[in-house]
Amino acid sequence: MTLPARRQSALAVSFAATAEEHLDDVYGYLVYLTRDRSLAEDLTADTFEKALRLWRRFDPARASARTWLCQIARTTALDWFRSEERRQQREKRAAPPEHVDAAFAEGLSPQIEAALAELSAGEREVIALRVLLDLNGEEAARVLGISPTAVSTRLSRALKKLEEKVSVNV
Amino acid sequence: MSERLLNEIRATKPAAPPALRERVRALGELEPARAPFLSRFEWRRLFLVVPVAAMAAVVAAGVIGVTRDDVVKGGGDEMAASGGVVTTETFKTEAASPEASRGFSAPPTADSAVVPPVPGQLQRFEAELRLRVDDVEALSSATKRAQRIALQHGGGVASLQYDAPAEGVGAAQITLRVPTARVQSAMVQLSQLGTIVGQRYGIEDLQVQADTLQSQIEAAQRQVAQLVARLESTTLPAEERVVLQSRLGAARQKLAGLREGLRGTNAEARTATIYLSLTTEEIPPAAEGGSRLDDVKDVLAWEGIALLYALIVGGPFLILGLLIWLGFRFSRKREETRLLEQN
Repeated sequence: MTLPARRQSALAVSFAATAEEHLDDVYGYLVYLTRDRSLAEDLTADTFEKALRLWRRFDPARASARTWLCQIARTTALDWFRSEERRQQREKRAAPPEHVDAAFAEGLSPQIEAALAELSAGEREVIALRVLLDLNGEEAARVLGISPTAVSTRLSRALKKLEEKVSVNV
Repeated sequence: MSERLLNEIRATKPAAPPALRERVRALGELEPARAPFLSRFEWRRLFLVVPVAAMAAVVAAGVIGVTRDDVVKGGGDEMAASGGVVTTETFKTEAASPEASRGFSAPPTADSAVVPPVPGQLQRFEAELRLRVDDVEALSSATKRAQRIALQHGGGVASLQYDAPAEGVGAAQITLRVPTARVQSAMVQLSQLGTIVGQRYGIEDLQVQADTLQSQIEAAQRQVAQLVARLESTTLPAEERVVLQSRLGAARQKLAGLREGLRGTNAEARTATIYLSLTTEEIPPAAEGGSRLDDVKDVLAWEGIALLYALIVGGPFLILGLLIWLGFRFSRKREETRLLEQN
């Protein structure tokens, strides 16, 4: 399909349908990124609010709707991390924020759950994008703002670390 | 990495809770409003728009450069209509029609360019016509025919220089005088003697000068009449008579001078001067196109200079802005990496 045709057909799809289709992807990505399901819920809602405002500027010729939504989700999460950091500095809290709902997903073995929790957000997000959401290298690179090669390197390191942590936890 | 581990992660993909799903569904029911222009405008599109705009400017400048001559010519015609001093130059190569170059009575190429003198008004008319002929034989023939044309129109040759070497460029310069009333016809016939290389003509209004001279003559005539009447008086003292006779002599002399001046002005207005140049020199075939191309090149050169100047002046600021932007981007990336490492 040519680019203008793709754009027209994509614009014909409503925002509601796109949101419905990719809600689980965005939520899953944010759960892995934040390790907090209730926080991920809030950030997912914020993400779709932003996406609604920006929907007219969405260009399907440049990226798929899922990639575009993940980019917005990442920016939303990073903004939250920043504001949380500032809040902590203001309140002089040295301790990391409390996570009331740390489970990643129903049915995930405790060993993997624990291993994932020990990874950094950067490592978890690349696993979420490439494994959980099954984005290809270029799409993941677009979301993360790095090259596909860097994505590949980051993923392999993250998975190796995850495997090590799982084997230790076993 | 074990496949089992990856499969487990894939199989246990977190599902959005129903409350969140409802919240997002409610958002989807809102019709997205059209964003204001500035929020929709993508500055990256400037990279496409600016080169296109620059190209359009270059093309427009080129078109203006090419069509500039026509505008000047039109202005000359307007001046001619108002009766002022007119000088029109068209010193460009003009391809004469084959009939014209062979001397047939084809539509003359110079006809439309020559503004005829206004009938009933005294005007000094001068024209310069440059023609190219094929060879020395044609040069000789054209020179003779030019003299005949002047004679046929009631004029003659004021001066003639003829140079036709066995080899090289032959040329002839002929100054012709023809009655102003018939100058247009003469120009038409002369322009058929060869290919027009260039032509120039000028008209100067002499009517004001003639009117002034006429009124001065009438005043001088009145003065002479008064002096004659006073001298006819028998009671005039001898001393005064001598003075009046002296004044009368001076007035008559002045009157004669004024009459001579008026005759000269009238003669000048009656006869037009045509400077005809004939040459066998080859004219580059693309002379006219080249001239227009030169105009375009000039415009482009000036635009290039302006662009270079803008780059020299604005370049350091552009580089500084770029460095600031890169620095900001780099620090932002580092901060993101740190945040992702910490969480």
